[in-house]
Amino acid sequence: MKRAPIVLLAGAFRAWMHRSLGARIVALSLSLLLVVQVVSFVAIRNSIDHNARASIADQLEVGERVLHHVLEQNAQKLSDGATLLAADYGFRSAVNSDDVPTIASVLSNHGDRIGASVAVLLDNGFRVRASGRPDLQPLNGVIAKLALHANAARRHSEIALIDHKPFQFVMVPMRAPVVVGWVLMGFPIDLGLLDNMRDLSSLQVSLQARDNIRSAWKTALSTLPPEASPDVERQASARWPDINMSRSEALSLSLHGSEYSARAVLLNDEGAVSALLMRSVDGAVAPYLHLQWGLIVLTLLSVVVIGSGSVLTARHVTAPIHTLVAAAERLGAGDYDTPLGGQQRRDEIGMLAHSFERMRVSIAGHQQEILKLAYWDSLTGLPNRTQFRNATQDAIAAARTRKTRSVAIVMLDLDRFKLVNDLLGYPFGDMMLKSVAERLSQQAVRGGDLVARLDGDEFAILLTDLETVGDMALARSVAQRIGDAFGVPLTLEEQTVDMSASIGMAVWPHHAADTDTLLSRAEAAMYQAKRLAQGPTMYDPAHDATGTQTLSLLSELRHALAHGELRLYLQPKLALNTAHVVGAEALMRWQHPQRGLVAPMDFIPFAEQTGFIRLLTLWIFEEAARLWQVLNTTGVTLTFSVNLSTRDLLDPELQQTFEAVLVRHAVPAEAFCLEITESSIMDDPQRALATLDRLSGMGFRLSIDDFGTGYSSLAYLKRLPVNELKIDKSFVLNMEKDADDARIVRSTIDLAHGMGLMVVAEGVENAQVWDLLRELSCDEAQGFYMGKPMPAHEFARWCSGWTANHKSINTKPFGADSTFILH
Amino acid sequence: MRFRTFFPMLPGCAVLVLGFGAQAASLSVSVTDLAGHPVPDAVVMLEPASGKLPVKPLPVVEVGQMQRQFNPRVTVITVGTPVGFPNYDTVRHHVYSFSPIKPFELKLYAGVPSAPLVFDKPGIAVLGCNIHDQMAAWIVVVDTPHYARTSAEGQARLDNISAGAYKLRAWYAGMGHGEDPVSQALTVAAGDMTANMKLPDAAP
Repeated sequence: MKRAPIVLLAGAFRAWMHRSLGARIVALSLSLLLVVQVVSFVAIRNSIDHNARASIADQLEVGERVLHHVLEQNAQKLSDGATLLAADYGFRSAVNSDDVPTIASVLSNHGDRIGASVAVLLDNGFRVRASGRPDLQPLNGVIAKLALHANAARRHSEIALIDHKPFQFVMVPMRAPVVVGWVLMGFPIDLGLLDNMRDLSSLQVSLQARDNIRSAWKTALSTLPPEASPDVERQASARWPDINMSRSEALSLSLHGSEYSARAVLLNDEGAVSALLMRSVDGAVAPYLHLQWGLIVLTLLSVVVIGSGSVLTARHVTAPIHTLVAAAERLGAGDYDTPLGGQQRRDEIGMLAHSFERMRVSIAGHQQEILKLAYWDSLTGLPNRTQFRNATQDAIAAARTRKTRSVAIVMLDLDRFKLVNDLLGYPFGDMMLKSVAERLSQQAVRGGDLVARLDGDEFAILLTDLETVGDMALARSVAQRIGDAFGVPLTLEEQTVDMSASIGMAVWPHHAADTDTLLSRAEAAMYQAKRLAQGPTMYDPAHDATGTQTLSLLSELRHALAHGELRLYLQPKLALNTAHVVGAEALMRWQHPQRGLVAPMDFIPFAEQTGFIRLLTLWIFEEAARLWQVLNTTGVTLTFSVNLSTRDLLDPELQQTFEAVLVRHAVPAEAFCLEITESSIMDDPQRALATLDRLSGMGFRLSIDDFGTGYSSLAYLKRLPVNELKIDKSFVLNMEKDADDARIVRSTIDLAHGMGLMVVAEGVENAQVWDLLRELSCDEAQGFYMGKPMPAHEFARWCSGWTANHKSINTKPFGADSTFILH
Repeated sequence: MRFRTFFPMLPGCAVLVLGFGAQAASLSVSVTDLAGHPVPDAVVMLEPASGKLPVKPLPVVEVGQMQRQFNPRVTVITVGTPVGFPNYDTVRHHVYSFSPIKPFELKLYAGVPSAPLVFDKPGIAVLGCNIHDQMAAWIVVVDTPHYARTSAEGQARLDNISAGAYKLRAWYAGMGHGEDPVSQALTVAAGDMTANMKLPDAAP
């Protein structure tokens, strides 16, 4: 539907008005002005019109009086002339000659002298005695009228028509010496009289005559041009026909398109002669046209003035608003430092500007606080992880541009900080952290180096702009210095605490290409140091279970778990005295589609770190249970050993999970032996203990793996509900050669037996060791000599093969009998 | 202006006065205007109903001009009486009359004009001065021996009137120019008679 352009324009205008305050101000002022101007213009115009008409009406009224006065003056003049004429001796003597023709000639002669075209002699009874003209009939009325006023003090005159022409008649007495008669004189009314009238009154005068009251008016004389006469006659006849109307009447005429106000004055009692006094309304209004034009010009000027004034005002109002808008946008964009303008004003805008400025300052203050919170650690006052990371990024970027430069991170973690917190309280822990922060800050002597608190008890030092040559050595020396600084005990509130920290180092560009990698590598190095309880450790990719490999490794592991890439391998455990297979250690292998068989060392530690180990443990347990059931149905009853990790020990649901598996495969808990390392207990001994108690309560056998390495604690050993010890392979491997190892093994066996525990030796790789162990009364053995870890399906076969081969061999020591098939 | 003859009026009172059989009656005429006010200086004439009585002219009568006025204003003379117009003023006068009985004109003069004018027609003549509009006089020329002027009380007396039928005529200046005297038929008998004449004013 096509809309009228005016509608569109109106819509656009309204939209613009809503958008702009300035436009609204301007539009409001201008429209108010225009309304006022238009109203006043209309009012003034109406007033002018009204006043002009009233003025004209007044003028016409005055004009009527002037007309009567002019006529009276004229009558006076005429009768003066007639009187003078009537007193002329010659006239009197001629008139009294009784000779009518003589009298008539004298009358016309003397009449001509004074311009009277009608001269009539009357006797004292106003009867015509002689006349200068033959036709006296029309004069009768005039004579009668004038006779009525003959003796009045003021001269009376009558206006009447003679031959359709208006005449003014006067009658004067003739004295000889007394009034012996009357002289009637008639003077034609000429244009001079009307012109005189017009000059006096500025009115147009038109003398109208009609034969009788029924006929139309005809113009006898007029100051208007002759072309106007027909119009005047027509309108006068139409509007003022009746003699019974008043002697004067106000009319409105229209001549040549312009409007005239008129007054019709009856000059003759019979209604035969009237004068039409006219005034052009336009003419009267004309002077005011100047006023109107002046008003219009004034209106335009005031529109311009007010328009520009209101534009300026609008600008004056909106410009500071724009400034504030810009300032607000700057604030929004984060610029809190540029001061606002416009505060010098005292008015509302100034107040607004002031408030804005205060707000800006306040926000800037808040911003500072936020920055502080965001980038600074509130407790120690050191930069926090975010700032440290950003600084590292900046340092790397700077080093990148300078080519032969490196960036190093030294990351450290306080040892046993949680313990201190528990024992000595959090306030103490906080004070400790603060003093650590102090010590570290003292160590960071190079400008550009940054000491930060990354996390609870984690700190880091950023070494920037190192020369690539010797960068690692420098990092090491810094780390060593720090480590030495920690060697000094801390005394706070009469408590002396020994502090130590695990320190890891990583250097860019050697150990990582970007910031986050560098950070995580330094962290990995730190954890390595913590795990191995060694001094400052440089990052070593070989030991790093974290890395970009990590993420993919995790997903591959998941994939492996879900898609059966994991394999259950079993390494048989044999009783040394009978050489029977009494059990097997359940181990995991990973058949990676690309990489082939992945060694456990490559993913187990990683799994332990990520917690994925729990799923792996569960999987092994499940598979082992399944196999046990299968073997059990074939009559083979063995004890399967499954390794538990730290995470498993800390899992509160471990018991239920295992229970479910046992139930699912209808396997008794006694079929399993759970192997744990001493170290795995150490992270949370209480919880680990609780779990072990529960597992033991379920019927599981428990075994201490890798005994003699890591955190060996006899105190804990006492408390753990374990059933056996496994001597770490490091002692067993070379015990036939190494007397110290042999002694350790013997001591361990005695210790275990003394505590009522069984002993299993790992890493039996030759017959001598087997024999030696037998001699030392070790209970069980496990090793490559007897059997390598093998797939589950092979295990059953191997078992039956072994049993078949060694059925007859009970107590004979092995010697050179090499009928063992070593798998 | 037409001239009417006077009607002599017989004194009716003469019969009442004891019927002397005297032929001389007298007539007291009281002249008033229409409102009843007495009219002074009215002229009263008694003319026989038919015929004429013999009239003798008077000796020279003077109508003088003094202080720019005619003196007397109203003069009654008999037919044939010569009238002189002496000018006693220091200024000249131009006396004239257009009355038909005796139109005359004495152009600007001082002192006495050469000869008096004889008024030989009965009637009323009005005179004026051409250069002094306020000067006006009347000369009533009667054609009967019986005439009189009323006094200030408007009374006039006519004597020695023979009995008979008369016309009593009265006039005064206030009647206006050209008006005929008012006429009243009267039969005179011996004795004193009275008559009332009501005279109209000049038409306004």
